[in-house]
Amino acid sequence: MSAREGLGGAATFLAAVAIVAALVHFVVVLVIPVLATHDAFARLEGLGPAGETVALARPGPTERLFPYADPALAAAFCRYDLSAGPVRVKAPVGRAGFASLSFHTRHGAVFYALTDRAATHGHMEAVIVTPAQERALAAHDDEDNPSQDLRIVSTTNQGFVMMRAFSELPSLYGAAEDQVKTLSCASEPTPK
Amino acid sequence: MFAKAVAACLLGLALGLWASETILANGGPFGVVAIGPWSVATTAGAIEADPYTRASLERSGEIPLALGEGLKMIARVDDAGRPFDPRCTYRVGSRVPAARYWTLSLVNADGYPVENAAGRYGFRSSEILRDADGGFSIAVSATAHAGNWLPIGAPAPFALVLRLYDSPLSATAGGMEKSATPAIARENCA
Repeated sequence: MSAREGLGGAATFLAAVAIVAALVHFVVVLVIPVLATHDAFARLEGLGPAGETVALARPGPTERLFPYADPALAAAFCRYDLSAGPVRVKAPVGRAGFASLSFHTRHGAVFYALTDRAATHGHMEAVIVTPAQERALAAHDDEDNPSQDLRIVSTTNQGFVMMRAFSELPSLYGAAEDQVKTLSCASEPTPK
Repeated sequence: MFAKAVAACLLGLALGLWASETILANGGPFGVVAIGPWSVATTAGAIEADPYTRASLERSGEIPLALGEGLKMIARVDDAGRPFDPRCTYRVGSRVPAARYWTLSLVNADGYPVENAAGRYGFRSSEILRDADGGFSIAVSATAHAGNWLPIGAPAPFALVLRLYDSPLSATAGGMEKSATPAIARENCA
């Protein structure tokens, strides 16, 4: 083998390595969300059944389930499943400084959020619906007496709602925890 | 020839996996805006996030804040761009962008609080000691400091996380002024 051939061979080899590496990389990036075996939803699934409100443990060095959680905030969640009908989400606003609801798809992405500033009659409230349920509900709406419900369309049948409450002082964390536990997620009958 | 092709495939596989792991561990290359030492993932958790941001989120299991709730900013370097060194003392202050509440906390490379004897993992805007003109100063250090002391609990890489709740800046995070964010000055190093 001449020196020139050796150089060409090395270049081909490196190019082949680079091409395989690029392919592997793109497959990994695209496949991870599809497999989703250890994403937030999968981790929440292990903590409680759909429809039930479960408080998350206070963030600390020994709680290693959800990274980048704020130790100043109490949080609780419920998983929803719209196959049994729309889900009404309701949470009273307490005296805590800041409280919010965020609505996540099966893949964790947020598709809606509410804070205590948007509360009416002391509650944050919304109804999660599929696009089909939204059409059915709209067809039933009374034009003279429209529904006061805030309807939020979820693109996935399953997902989860997070409630967060801010504790102004470490000693108030327990009160924030009590507040997030009041989150309720109830299935309603599908409109005919 | 065959051995060479197999070697190229194996090397490519290893390189591809390593690159993916490295890129995704840092949140992906897109939708991240740098403001001084702070970086903001403006699309994290959004439906329209790019594949890297989404894969990174799925992998970490983080439950993101919605833009309507607040904004998360992360720093892994000081004002001069030097990566945080757990042997050094850092001064963080003295102002933050407008928000109803803010918190500043310290996490390890995986995003979890670090055990420390003081049991202090972060500060809230509602509990922090302020100076006469309303500014504040937080000492981030492995050794105890008077005033606001955020302990570095372990001799390992760490990051500072600043969260702004109910901030009017959420939607325009990319346009935030550097002067509005807290400075991170490195002081003495042990």
